[in-house]
This record gives sequence, C-alpha cells and structure tokens, in this order.
Amino acid sequence: MSAVVSETGRVGTQAAVAASSLVKVYGKGDTAVRALGGVSVAFQAGKFTAIMGPSGSGKSTLMHCLAGLDNVDGGSVHIGGTEITGLNDKDLTKLRRDRIGFVFQAFNLLPTLSAEANILLGLELAGRKPDKQWFDTIVDVLGLRDRLKHKPSELSGGQQQRVACARALVARPDVVFADEPTGNLDSRSGAEVLDFLRMSVRKLGQTVIMVTHDPVAASYADRVVLLADGHLAGEIQNPTADSVLSALKHLGA
Amino acid sequence: MLKTIIAGVRARTARLLLSSIAIMLGVAFVSGTLVLGDGITEGMKDEFAKTSRGVDVSMSLAGEGPESETGFSQATLDKVRDTPGVQGADLRSYVSAALLTASGKAKPASAGPLASTPELREYDLKDGRFPTSATETAVDVRALATAKLSMGQQITLLDMEDGKHSFTIVGTFAQGANSMSLGGSEHLVLLPEALPQLSDKVRGYELVAKAAPGVTQEQLVANLKKSTGEQGYKFQTGEQLTVETLKQISERSGEFTQLLLAFALIALVVAAMVIYNTFTILVAQRTRELALMRCVGASRGQVFGSVLAEAVVMGFFASVIGLFGGIGVSALMQTVIGSFSGDNTVVRLPVTPTTVLAAFGVGVLITVISAALPARKATKVAPVAALRAQLDSSEEVARTGTLRIVFAVLLGLAGAGVVYLGMGMEEEAALIITGSGTMLLLAMVVTLGPVLVGPVNRVLGVVPKALFGVPAKLASGNAGRNPKRTAATTAALMIGVTIVSLVTVVATSAKETASAEVDQRFPADYTVTSSIYSRPLQQDLLDKIAAVPEVGKVAPMAGFSPESDENSQYSAYLEATTPEAFGDLVRPKVVSGSITGLKDGEVAISSNFAKRSGLAVGGTLPQGLGATKKDLKVVAVVDGIDSSGLVTMATLTAFDPETPGFRSIMVKLKDGVTTEAGRAAVEKVTDASPIAVIDSAAETKAQLNTQVDQVLGFIWALIGLAVIIALFGIANTLTLSVLERTRESALLRALGLTKGQLRLMLVVESVLMAVMGAAIGLVLGVGFGWILVKALSSDSFPITFDVPFGQIGVMLLAAVVAAMIAAAMPARRAGRTSVVAGMAEA
Ligand SMILES: Nc1ncnc2c1ncn2[C@@H]1O[C@H](COP(=O)(O)OP(=O)(O)O)[C@@H](O)[C@H]1O
Ligand SMILES: [Mg+2]
Repeated sequence: MSAVVSETGRVGTQAAVAASSLVKVYGKGDTAVRALGGVSVAFQAGKFTAIMGPSGSGKSTLMHCLAGLDNVDGGSVHIGGTEITGLNDKDLTKLRRDRIGFVFQAFNLLPTLSAEANILLGLELAGRKPDKQWFDTIVDVLGLRDRLKHKPSELSGGQQQRVACARALVARPDVVFADEPTGNLDSRSGAEVLDFLRMSVRKLGQTVIMVTHDPVAASYADRVVLLADGHLAGEIQNPTADSVLSALKHLGA
Repeated sequence: MLKTIIAGVRARTARLLLSSIAIMLGVAFVSGTLVLGDGITEGMKDEFAKTSRGVDVSMSLAGEGPESETGFSQATLDKVRDTPGVQGADLRSYVSAALLTASGKAKPASAGPLASTPELREYDLKDGRFPTSATETAVDVRALATAKLSMGQQITLLDMEDGKHSFTIVGTFAQGANSMSLGGSEHLVLLPEALPQLSDKVRGYELVAKAAPGVTQEQLVANLKKSTGEQGYKFQTGEQLTVETLKQISERSGEFTQLLLAFALIALVVAAMVIYNTFTILVAQRTRELALMRCVGASRGQVFGSVLAEAVVMGFFASVIGLFGGIGVSALMQTVIGSFSGDNTVVRLPVTPTTVLAAFGVGVLITVISAALPARKATKVAPVAALRAQLDSSEEVARTGTLRIVFAVLLGLAGAGVVYLGMGMEEEAALIITGSGTMLLLAMVVTLGPVLVGPVNRVLGVVPKALFGVPAKLASGNAGRNPKRTAATTAALMIGVTIVSLVTVVATSAKETASAEVDQRFPADYTVTSSIYSRPLQQDLLDKIAAVPEVGKVAPMAGFSPESDENSQYSAYLEATTPEAFGDLVRPKVVSGSITGLKDGEVAISSNFAKRSGLAVGGTLPQGLGATKKDLKVVAVVDGIDSSGLVTMATLTAFDPETPGFRSIMVKLKDGVTTEAGRAAVEKVTDASPIAVIDSAAETKAQLNTQVDQVLGFIWALIGLAVIIALFGIANTLTLSVLERTRESALLRALGLTKGQLRLMLVVESVLMAVMGAAIGLVLGVGFGWILVKALSSDSFPITFDVPFGQIGVMLLAAVVAAMIAAAMPARRAGRTSVVAGMAEA
C-alpha cells in the first residue's frame, strides 16, 4: 500500500489516477452496503487498464469515485497531481470537462445533437477550440466521416459508441473512463471499439481505464485489476481472455 | 433495484400530482366562470323582480288618451281605489331635484312617492322608518355613502326655480335595480303630498294595484277596464309584468353572460389543452412500462383498460376538488367586483346542473380522452418495439404533416372568408362575424403549431445563444426536439395572449380615437358644465367667467330640437354657440364647405345627418313649425359631433326666445396662464354656483380612459387566469421533460455541465416556450385587433388603429418572468439529482 501512496506522490510522472484506502458506503445503519472497503490502486499514464470483477463487486462504484462523479466516504483520489476528494461540485465539474473523457455503456449521446456536435460538446462546454487536425484524425480512424451530420437515432449501436469514443478523446483528456463500453454491442462492433481504445493508448499515448465483466474485452488491456466484494483481489499484466477467465474463476471459488 | 423502484414511485407521484393539478385548475376555471355568470344573472333577476313584486295589475300609459301628456291623475287613482276588488293602489312617479351637499354643490337626485300600500313598494326598509310627515324623507342606503348623508340629518332639495325645501332623514331603504335606480342620481322617497312642492309637473308613469283576497289578477283587470275605460291605458297582470321584466333583464344580462360564456369556452379549450398535453407526455413516458406489462402477458385490452381506469379515478377526484375551487374563485371574483363598485353586493354561488356537467365533462371526459388517445397509440406498437423505442418521436410530426397542413389551409380559408364577410358589415354584426373569423384563423395557427415550432424556435433561440452559449444552445434543441409537445404546451399560452392583446388593441384604439376626438372637438382648456342635467348654466355665470382676468375666450354651448313634423327626415337636434367660436373653440372635422365665420341662419350639418336628410352644402334645411319656421342654409358638412348640426346662438334664440341656458361653457385661458392658475381663478366663480362643475378636456379623457380601463381590467383578470393555467402547463411539461431526461442531464453533468448551467438550460427552455407562445399570440392579437378595428371603423365613426406598445412590452416581460418562475421547480429538481443517480435511472 505504501508503494501506491509513493507512486501518487510522483506528480504526473507515472500515475495518471491513484486511489488510496478508498471507502464508499451506500445507505445507513443496518441496510448500509460497503461497496468499496478501502481500495488502494494506481493507474499508470499511457496505459490501458481494465477493472474486472463479478457483478456487484464495486467496479462501477470505483470508477465513479475515481472520476469524481460521486463523493467518497474515506480515502483519497488523485488525478494527475490534483487531489479531487474534497473538491466542491463546481471544481469537480470543471475538472471533468477539462481533464476526463467518458464512454458509458449506453445513453452516451444527446439525441438533439448531430454526431459532430456530440463529439465537440465537451470542448464547447469548456469553451475550448477543437484542434482541427486531431479531430480529423479521430473521425477518420473511427470511420465516422460520413456519419457526422447524423442524429444519434440514425446511428447503429456500434457507431454511437464510436461517436462516444471520439468525444472522449477529442479533448485530449488526462484519462478516459469507460464503463462497460461494449456491454450493449455485438461482438464485432465491440471489437472495433476495443481496438480503437487500445490503439489510442498505444499510438496516441492516451490513458484509458475501462470497467468490464467480459474477459475478452479485458484482454485488450495492458493490465487487469481484479475486484471482489469491494476489495482489490489481485491483478494481471498483459492479460489474455484465458488468464482473465481463470482468475475470475478463482475469485468465484 | 430498490433504488429504481423508489425513484419510479417518486417520479410517478410527481407525475400524478402534476396531472391532477392540471385537471383541477382547468375544472376550477371552467366551473368558476360558469358560477360567476349564473350568480350575476341571478342577482340581476332578483334586483329587477322588485318592481313587479306584490303587483296584481299594472296600468301604464299607451297610445292617445286623456292622460298621455300629463301622466296619471289623482282622479284616476281615486277611481282605481274605488274599483271593486282593489285592496290598495298607488301611483309611481318621480321628480328630479337637486340635493345640496355639505360642500354646497348640488347633486342630481330623484324623489318618488311612498306607496301607501306596503306590498306595492319597490324598496325595503333598511333602517329607521319611512316618512310619516311631509317634511320627512327616507333615502337609498347607497346615498349615505355617495352623498355623505346620515340618519337624522336635515337635507335641502332645490326645485327647478332654485327654491329650497328641507327634509329630515328618518330612514334608509334598499331598492332593486331598475332603469331609474341604475342612473347616477341619489334616490329618496317622500309622502306623495310632498312631491308637488318640488315640481308642478309630477308625471305618474305607472299605476299599480293590489287585489283583495279572492280576486284574481284577470278579474281585477276586467273590473279596472270597466271603471277607468281602456282608452290610452295598457293593462298588465302582475304575472305578465314579471315575465316582461325578466325578459328585459335576460336581454341585458345576456350580453354579460355571453361574454362570460366566451371566456368559459376559452377556459375550456386552454384547460383541455393542458390536460391533454400532460397525459400525452405521461403515457409516452410510460410506453416502455406498458410494453413491459404486455411482454409479461397482459393483453392489449388489459393495458388499455388500466390506463383508462386510472384516468377516470384521477379525473373524478381532481374534478371534485376543481369544482369547489371554481366556486371559491367565483366568490372571490364577486367580492372583488363588489369592492370595485362600492356596493355591499351579496355573493351568490348558484351551482347549476350545467356547471356540474361542464366540470366533470372537462375533468373526466377530457382526461379520459387525453389518456386514451396516446394509450391506444402506445398499445398498438408491438411490445418489443416499444421496449426498444426512443422516447422522442420527431418523425411522427413529419408523418401527419400533410394532413395537418391541409386542415390548417381549410381553416385559414374559412377564417379569411368569414373575416371578409364581417368587414362588409356594420357595428355589432361586424364585431361578431369578424371576431369569429379571427378565431378560425387562431384555430389555424394552433393546428399549424407543430410545423411552426421549428422555425420560430430557431429565430427566437438566436438571442439566448448569443448571451448564454452552450446551455442556451442545448435548451433551444430541447425546445425544438418534440414540436408537437412544444406546440401543445405553448398553444394554451398563445390563445390567452392572443385574446388579451386583441382586446387591448381594440380598446386602446377606441380609447385613443375617443381622446383624439375630445382634443379635436374641445380645443378649450376646460369646460364648465352643470352637475345636474335638467338645470342648465345661465348667462350670468358666462359673464362672470368671461370677466376673470386669466380667461382669454369663452364660448357657451346649448342644444335644442326645433319643433318638427313627426318622422320628418329633417327633424334635428342642433347645437349652438357664439359665431366667434366656430373654427376656434369649436373645431369639428370639416368634410366639405367651411364653418369659420358661420353666420346666423346658416347650419353646419353632421355627415350622418347629411346622409339621413339627403342634404349637402348649398342645400336648405327647414326647421321649426308655424310661426317659428325658418330655412337654414347648409354651409358645411362636418364629422365628429353628437348633434345633427351646429348653428349660432342667435339662430337658436330665433326658434326659442326663452332659451333655458347652456349645456356647457368652454373656456380658453390667455396665453401664458397655466391650467392650474386658470383653473383656480375660474373655480372661484364656479364655487359660488351650486351647480357649475369644471371639467377639462384632459379630465374628460381621463374619465373615458378609466371607464375603458375598468372593462379591460375585468377582461385581463379573467384571461389572466387562463394565462396562469397556461404557464402552469409550461411548468408541467418542463417537469415531465426533466424527469424524462434524467439520464441525459446526468450525462451532461458528467461531461462538464455545471449545476448552474443545467438550471440555466431549463430556464432558457421555459422562457423560449413562453416567448414562443407570447410572441405568436401578440402578433396574432395585434393583427386580429387591426382587422377588428378596420371592421368596426366606419366613415361616421372612424377608429384609428393604435398599438399599446407599453402594455405589450409588459406582457412579454411578464411572460419571461413567469416562465422563469415556472422553470424554478423543475430546475431545482434537475440540479438536485446526482450524476450517478441520474445515470442509474431507467
Ligand atoms: N446507489 C446505491 N445505493 C445502494 N447500494 C448501491 C448503490 N450503488 C451500488 N450499490 C451497491 O454497491 C455494490 C457495488 O455496486 P456496483 O459498483 O454497481 O457493482 P458492479 O458495477 O461491480 O456491478 C453492490 O452491492 C450494489 O448493490
Ligand atoms: Mg456496474
């Protein structure tokens, strides 16, 4: 645990996101659920990390706390050099829009906006000008060029998730959080999205943290962090679908 | 899971509450308007019925008879009293007199005889007793306040020759409304023998009799016909009299009831729209839930039935509350109207079957229809498709677009046709027909609503986008995403604003025209008139005013009708003033010829009279009969005078050497004298006269304006209610939209929209919707107002179109502020929801 703390100490060098002794409790009294029971974990910059675990193990909760979407009941979270635990809502919102990208499982896009407007929404909220070249690169890599003027309702599920990926990356955030980004997709569309996320890490130097319960999806990552009952339960470097599957089985046993 | 269930229940309570309130408000407005109308009509009936109560036979003068000039004589009364079967009989008459007030001014008053038969009195004793001697009097309770009188006080009445007569107030009475009590004068009763001292011409206009026990009204009529003869009299039984009186009132109150009914209809439409809109959204939001029910085995009928049952139960309970609310609204309005008129009016709350039927018709029927239509649509879709469906369905608009446009075009053509028809008519017909035409056009715009939302939203959205950036852009997108919903939400407001601005424009135009006319016709600084119509101003007053150093010019105005043959096309009412005043203090609009330097024996006729008599400049107008017959030379045709023509004072005196005096004296101040200083100087003279009242053109205008403003105020109040309901509709839609977009809001928050920006987004959306409704409503209202003004305007009564920009600005501003208030609750709710909780929402 001390290693983790020292890692977060080295500002901006290695760890893009780090949590120490993170506690999150839902509810009060008898019905209280300890969703995170003191999780300490660091995520290296420029790496693709997957958070895995059985359903109800606290994956989504961890991600929400890491991304500043939810407040924590104990411990701390750092993004880059900034401690985000204790920031007020306004500063958190600013931090999210300036330094974090999101891809959710579903309902990623605003139905009223075109694909292009959706991609640029975050930048617009931040009042930043998009980098035209970067925008073109992302759009072309994701094959969205001829879909830019379409409304979300006119796009397939895979295309919608790719638009969400483009939006997450176009602002060059410090870190991209993805919560089950392929959960609603068929395997081919899912593979496309995962390929893109991996490519953005390998070629473009992005940091991506992805929550998933799918071993195949996890195998795209550089490293898998395993979660069980709100506690860290080991990790796998350079995972394959098989190694993840067997690790999960161990957890279940 | 528990979280979603709780969230669902909470969202559902909010939805149920909102739709119940929509129903309640709608029902309250409709039933309130109906109860108010019925209450006022009932009140009028009660008031008027007092003239016929207790009367078994009424005799009035009709046709040629011995008494047609003088009124019923004492002899006839005695004859009637002696007729077998008569228990008592009394004469009804009145005498105009002037009541001297504490300040020494005279107020117009009218005195009537105290009926000797108590059952035949048209008034009830309130306080004290009725007079028993010729020096006592009882006064109308209202006079206590309006003329500042008190019980036991000594009052003075002036007769026609300024003779003073004193009476002691021994009692007060309350009387019903009748043609006389509605006039502005103070009322009192005296013993019949006290009347002749006030005037030697006491004209008994009606003789009423009460039958002895066992004598029918018909028998009594027969007996009376025998004893008095039939020549010159009209006999009516009490029954007939009552029927006739009531017919008169329902004609009178009918206009008011129609006005209220028109408002009730508007209320109905607005309420129906709000209810329908709320349910459409509710069921649309439940589409998935309904689909899920079908997936787990519920039949289409079961699902449909459950929606209907819910609507019936909710509609029923909300209607009951709404009905009581409406009765409360009506009581409130009557109290408010009562406090305006200064009367201690009784609050009447008659609940007729029609009202109850209308209340439940609106509350239950419209609710069920509003729920059934979208529910049918929702259950028609295959369950699996519905489960997958997007909540927004903008394609739907495009699909029904053609049908909608065809329907709108038909409405538009019909409306334009009816308006064209109405333009050719005159006065009331023009108002009604053209008005109906504009309402058809309004229906066209309502039908076109969903098509209009897009472009209007884009135009209106420019300003907030420039001011607030992204949140406003998102808001504009939200306002335009479901054109049908936005159109339905804004339509209610649009209708309300259209009517208000229409009425305001027409009233303002009429008002402006009237005051422009006042300016034109009365270039004088102020006008001195008599406070008592029957007592004109005299020459010595004119001389005294002319002698005031501050006064530059004076001009008296007198009016008279020279004798003429009955039904002659030349019978005229002429106004006279001094020759110098023509083209100076008297300045009507000249159509042809010239009035400056109008000489004795010449006349300037009004264009109306010119039409009626067929005369033109150069023609001859014969006036008077026998010795006073004279031919007047027509030298001008003018517009904007009340009389048939203008002549000089000398011309008037030639017809009637004993001119009773002047109706008014116009006063023009010397240059450099302020109105205040001048008024003070002239007031010294008028104060010395018991009847002279000073009245300036500016004050005349103010008087006119207050009258119009009072009517406007009433209409604004009624429509204001409609607008409140419409704004509630906006709040309703917004709240439901916020619930529907919980996940979307959470996504926006995750992406970096601050709480403040989220709230701003909703406020802008609300304002956009409100301004959309208000702006279209204003454009329509002003346009329709223009059409109505054109239709009402005629050569003889031209109305200048005038737009009250100030009031319109206030209306727009009010819409914006109200929209912000409407957005407050939904915005708070949206801001409170945490990002994670929002994402979890299904
Ligand atoms: N809003 C909440 N209220 C109460 N309990 C919650 C809430 N969110 C999650 N939990 C509980 O916290 C635990 C972790 O949930 P979550 O992080 O969603 O798991 P995962 O994403 O790994 O499936 C679960 O036991 C879940 O029931
Ligand atoms: Mg999860």
